[in-house]
Amino acid sequence: MMGDAGKAQEIFHTTLREAAQRAAQGELPNERFWLFRDARWRCLEASETDLQAEPLEMEEQEITEDAASQIEQLEPAHLSIWISAAPEPQRTALALFYLDEFDYREIVDLAELKLSELSRLLAAGRRQLQAWLNATFPKRPTI
Amino acid sequence: MKTLRLSRRQRALANCAPIAEERIRDGSMRATVIRARTSNEFANQQLFDRAVTALVRAIPIPLETAEWFSSKDLISPSKWTWKKTARNPAVLAIGIALVVIAGVFVFNLVGRLNDFPGSGTARKLLSIAGSTRSVLLDPVAGDAGTLSDLFFLKHGLEHYDVPAEFADFRTIGCRVFDDDEARRVAQIWVVDKRMQFFLFPAERDAKTGAVLQFPGWRYVHQEGWVGAVTQHNGVCFMAALRGRERDLAPYIVKASQ
Repeated sequence: MMGDAGKAQEIFHTTLREAAQRAAQGELPNERFWLFRDARWRCLEASETDLQAEPLEMEEQEITEDAASQIEQLEPAHLSIWISAAPEPQRTALALFYLDEFDYREIVDLAELKLSELSRLLAAGRRQLQAWLNATFPKRPTI
Repeated sequence: MKTLRLSRRQRALANCAPIAEERIRDGSMRATVIRARTSNEFANQQLFDRAVTALVRAIPIPLETAEWFSSKDLISPSKWTWKKTARNPAVLAIGIALVVIAGVFVFNLVGRLNDFPGSGTARKLLSIAGSTRSVLLDPVAGDAGTLSDLFFLKHGLEHYDVPAEFADFRTIGCRVFDDDEARRVAQIWVVDKRMQFFLFPAERDAKTGAVLQFPGWRYVHQEGWVGAVTQHNGVCFMAALRGRERDLAPYIVKASQ
């Protein structure tokens, strides 16, 4: 979400501290995902104070069979920066989906999206990442 | 491998398909994945997602943060509860269907419990009672008990006797008619509460021809009418009136006494 380990850690600890205080006062919400929802809003708030990337039309390309090998060439940090640079709510959708801890209904609930919106954001995200991969690791022409 | 045609919802679900099939928790997603997994497009998507997930897992997490997660899952799977199961549309539909089936079964069972030989005919005659106008009957002013002779002498009907308990009721009119099921039926209209009496042959065993007996008085209901039926000498007698069982019960108590 943040593309910055330091900021992410700061938000993580703030969220937990707040949760511990609420637990001590017996004010924990009776909702399954409240901690994740809380953390997400803190990330969004923190991002608002950051420098914002200019909105631009991202190029999209169809996913290819070689995509997996292209992704393997990426550094994890590159991917986290790429996802954190995505506009909201696509950033939340991609971050939650590729965390591989939530199913689509939970993501829809957490990100306050409809299924069709989540589907569109994920599909567009894949095609945009593919275009970026193609630009970053171009295929060598075969003779 | 091929390209598949999916509905809009299936397409949306396929785009959100989890990386591992074990994570599928609902039927519609499972059906979509089963349908979509033969296509090239979906296979590429799954390979792509697996590779991205592997990379996400490789993102280094600071040690003090990682300790929080240790080996536990981020979220515990949702607990199975009766309430949740009951809200499942399939379970709800099956439940409603079972209740309806049970209702019909109980209704039929209660109906059967009240049945007796000749109850079908009695119900049919109650319908006739509801539609009969007094002008259809031959005017006869007298006691109901005296009509037995009339039925025997004029129509040749043996044992068409009004029980002694109802014999004193004053009559307005009577008639004898043929019915497909009940055969020869005698109908008497009395003054008291616009009550009607019916006399008709008792039901017989189809093989032996023996009269199917039943003891005492039995009630039947049809279209707002209630009838109390008894049997004597192979002939059923029914006292009928528009109303409920409790309207007729006092006469039956008197009759029993």
